[in-house]
Amino acid sequence: MNTPARTFGPAAREAIESRFARNIAARLSERAENVAPEISERLRFAREKALEIGRLARAGAEVQSAGGGAAVLGFSRSPWWQRIASILPVAALIGGLVLIEDWTTRSQISVAAEVDAALLGDDLPINAYRDPGFVEYLKTPPGE
Amino acid sequence: MATDKELSDFLKSVEKRAWKRAVYAVRDEDAALDIVQDAMIRLSEKYIDRPASELPLLFQRIVSNATMDWFRRQKVRNAVVRNFSDFEGAAGGDGDFDILETLESLGSSLEHESAADSVSRAQILQLVEAEVALLPARQREAFLLRYWEELDVAETAASMGCSEGSVKTHCSRAVHALAKALRAKGIGT
Repeated sequence: MNTPARTFGPAAREAIESRFARNIAARLSERAENVAPEISERLRFAREKALEIGRLARAGAEVQSAGGGAAVLGFSRSPWWQRIASILPVAALIGGLVLIEDWTTRSQISVAAEVDAALLGDDLPINAYRDPGFVEYLKTPPGE
Repeated sequence: MATDKELSDFLKSVEKRAWKRAVYAVRDEDAALDIVQDAMIRLSEKYIDRPASELPLLFQRIVSNATMDWFRRQKVRNAVVRNFSDFEGAAGGDGDFDILETLESLGSSLEHESAADSVSRAQILQLVEAEVALLPARQREAFLLRYWEELDVAETAASMGCSEGSVKTHCSRAVHALAKALRAKGIGT
């Protein structure tokens, strides 16, 4: 005997589909929980391997974020005296360079002064008067 | 940021379902294990800064991508695309009142296990799983994400890279196809 087909509204249809689907999903979960021991073991191994790789990545990221660019200069999370100690060689190097520059400049000035003094204090060579440029220089009034 | 324990607990809770999902897709247990391991590594390596609440959606997306990568490597992408676009011809539309009644009776019989009269429980589970595996790829993916992984429609759509309307269509067609197939096997009638 045929029974008349019932009509379902969209909400009822969706509810029926959802209920059926969740029943199927529950059966799938039941099957999934009963996988072979070998598969479970391989999944466990895969999970532990993934977690280990994740731990290494996390440790690397933490070192990078904590140290940052300052780590290149030796500023990690170290005590203040270590930071000062790490600055000292750089400061000493800069101070040394400044001193060397100053000493070199003074030496050059001293040498130039000695040469000038020697030239001015020496007798004028006779050949100098044969140089037109020198003669012209002598004719030029001072201050021009 | 998820802690080690949160990540470990999460992976432990989803690994078997993820493996099954991959088996349905690639029909190869070893390949499915590789896919799940690859997905686990990608999650724990690349998304370590994400909060624990984001892990389920991220992981499902990674498993989907890893499965697609597997297909690409196997050079059967064309076959997959063909399956993915094979949406026509499934059950649906206005003339589905009979199938809805079947769904209703199947739903309650599955709940109360009256189908065990003729087929053992293990066999029913096996049949259900086999029918799920036979669904077109997109329908199966939508069905599993929506009802097995319990993502909502928006999350399923985001994970599959399609619209929410498509998710609803895939799910509905999957449900009707499963109901029809199970009824044909004598389950729930």
